[in-house]
Amino acid sequence: MDIDIQEISKLFGTTAALHPVSLAIPSGALVALLGPSGSGKTTLLRILGGLEFPSSGRVLFEGQDATNLTVQERRAGFVFQSYALFRHMTVFENIAYGLKARPRAERPPKLEIARRVERLLELIQLPEIGARYPSQLSGGQRQRVALARALAIEPRMLLLDEPFGALDAKVRKELRQGLRDIHDATGLTTVFVTHDQEEAMELADLVVVMSMGRIEQIGRPQDIRARPASNFVRDFITA
Amino acid sequence: MLRPLINRSPMPGLGLSMGITLTMLSLVVLGPIGALLAQGASYGLEGIWATVNRERVWAALELSFRLSFFAALFNLFFGVILAWVLVRYDFPGRRLVDAAVDLPFALPTAVAGIALTTLYAPNGVFGVLAKEVGLKIAYTQWGIFIALIFVGLPFVTRTVQPVVEEIDREVEEASATLGATRLTTLRRVIAPMLMPAALTGFALSLARAVGEYGSVIFIAGNIPLKTEIAPLLIVIQLEEFNYDGAAAIGIAMLVISFAMLLAINLIQIWSRRRIGDV
Amino acid sequence: MSDAAERNWRSATDETPLVRGGLILFAVAGIALLVAAPLLTVFAEAFAKGWFAALKSLGNPDALSAIRLTLTIAAFSVPLNAAFGIAAAWFITRFDFRGKAFLITLIDLPFSVSPVVAGLCIVLMFGANSAIGGWLVAQGYPIVFALPGIVLATMFVTFPFVARELIPVMIEQGCKEEEAALTLGASGWRVFVTVTLPKIRWALLYGVLLCNARAMGEFGAVAVVSGKIRGQTATMPITIEMLYNEYLSVAAFSLAGLLTALALVTLLVKTVLELRHADEIAATHRH
Repeated sequence: MDIDIQEISKLFGTTAALHPVSLAIPSGALVALLGPSGSGKTTLLRILGGLEFPSSGRVLFEGQDATNLTVQERRAGFVFQSYALFRHMTVFENIAYGLKARPRAERPPKLEIARRVERLLELIQLPEIGARYPSQLSGGQRQRVALARALAIEPRMLLLDEPFGALDAKVRKELRQGLRDIHDATGLTTVFVTHDQEEAMELADLVVVMSMGRIEQIGRPQDIRARPASNFVRDFITA
Repeated sequence: MLRPLINRSPMPGLGLSMGITLTMLSLVVLGPIGALLAQGASYGLEGIWATVNRERVWAALELSFRLSFFAALFNLFFGVILAWVLVRYDFPGRRLVDAAVDLPFALPTAVAGIALTTLYAPNGVFGVLAKEVGLKIAYTQWGIFIALIFVGLPFVTRTVQPVVEEIDREVEEASATLGATRLTTLRRVIAPMLMPAALTGFALSLARAVGEYGSVIFIAGNIPLKTEIAPLLIVIQLEEFNYDGAAAIGIAMLVISFAMLLAINLIQIWSRRRIGDV
Repeated sequence: MSDAAERNWRSATDETPLVRGGLILFAVAGIALLVAAPLLTVFAEAFAKGWFAALKSLGNPDALSAIRLTLTIAAFSVPLNAAFGIAAAWFITRFDFRGKAFLITLIDLPFSVSPVVAGLCIVLMFGANSAIGGWLVAQGYPIVFALPGIVLATMFVTFPFVARELIPVMIEQGCKEEEAALTLGASGWRVFVTVTLPKIRWALLYGVLLCNARAMGEFGAVAVVSGKIRGQTATMPITIEMLYNEYLSVAAFSLAGLLTALALVTLLVKTVLELRHADEIAATHRH
């Protein structure tokens, strides 16, 4: 699914988190929103997910205006920085949550839910952990469960907020490849937020460099490296 | 290897603080409770049973525990909503309501008792309204129920409030992004998170209500078999200098209270184990 | 789309305005009916026959004697409980010993015992027909139906208050500063007065305040041990009961109004403490 962001701005009180920004994301792309904290990248991601609403501008999904869709209607698979797993539910129940929350008419039967959860656990390469609680998992495992939970609702796109932020360097490298593989396997349009330029450059097809609520540059990693559009971009990617 | 009874520490005042603590604890709390148990022991199990196993005593115990349970249940429901409203919503007078929650802790029980009785008596402000709909509150079980709600009101709110404050908003957002309606999120995600704290508040509220005397005694009417609470029976036995009888009922109340608290604690441990400590 | 800024968006973690309004209304109405109404009743009844009648009833010898007795009881039981609370908190938080959790449970015990049962326990231990009580009466020092018994019963009921406030605060603060003072050569007492006491003063005040409110208002336990002798062992709450049962409504509610004023002042100071010194008092309160 392609995403078209048109002149989106966001005010929190009187401070502008986003000046009008526009961005076209082609279907199936793996996009990094890269920038320091306070650059507006997370706000933009949350607007895509329906967790914040823009002060002006609109968002189109496949050419259809999606600005007014509620968070439930968007069907965006969202992976939170803290993972936000439900700690009173097992891994299985966490992943099945979105399917069970559907209205009765659209809810798959119990066996079908179980089958899908098993398949997702295999996709994240943790087939044996369905009965465990989040407190019994490592940080990397939790991140993968959060990813599986987001994928379970058959999302139209995948949105990740600092997906590797809370992990140590070694696990981070492994999971980067994991996300790339899942993206390639599902073909989902994927947007992730990061402040780590190496991560953005290595993983994404398209990198969007942001600063102070504006988009500084949009481009393929090699193009941004070769021709930084501003001093800010040059400093940030060589830091 | 057993660890030593007291580990060595450079801190001063071990003897003094331990001495004061254990002496006062023994003199004020443990000694008197021991005296109650000793009285019960000398009276014997048969004696205790003979005292408790009378219609009037059973009726009072049943009344005390039943009404306390329902009052605590009401407070569980009301307290969770109150905690949610106080933490999540901003409205004029929020601070005042927040402070008012503690009034039942600070207000002497006898004062609460006569105020509630005046309010709900047949000629009181609320009593008149109740009479309109054909309900008599003061001097009936309804009156006891209301007094018990009053004394237990703050417990659930005060245990649940800090938990609501600490809920990670991302968890609620995660539920919404997965397609859950707000009601589903409240029911399936938030309610289980609040449950352990709410149960703790429920247990405290229940324990307080079962033993409550001052605020109930005025509004109860104190009719044997109908509106006579268990603590009142103890007072009546003491006024007749029947120490054995008083001790027997006191021990029966302690035993039932501890059994209930134990049951609630087991539920707590079970739910904590499920949730883990993340 | 210029009208976008005017759209009133609801965040994903909010309830609808209708639900929100309903819940606020329910909570406020509940507090108004259950808490504010009895509070107003106390003052309305006290002043039912005017200010003068209310004040005059407080000048009655029985009322004055009750006020004196209640103040005396608080003057004994609150400082004693504060001393116990400080000692217990010091012992529990500064030393490592076996059975600590059990000791804390024992200190909390009075919270789960009915005040009437508490009074009964005091009567059974110190009453004239117990071994200790009989001997003391023979020596001319009766406990039950006299001041010492009322103080003991009050202390039993308010026993955990100060300790419960101090223990979490002192655990959180740790004892690094005390250790530093010790290495600088300060004596134990000096360390306590100059280092620990300033750190715990607000929590201590908080605990003492709650302890005092409860001590002055205790009814069930005192009703059992006092013997309710007018002018001698009738505390303010006991006198309120007597006056109320004699249908002296203005007198009963005037005395009740005094205790209510004390409760309100307690709540006010407590709220101020929570606002100003939140970091120096325990995070959660539940009594």
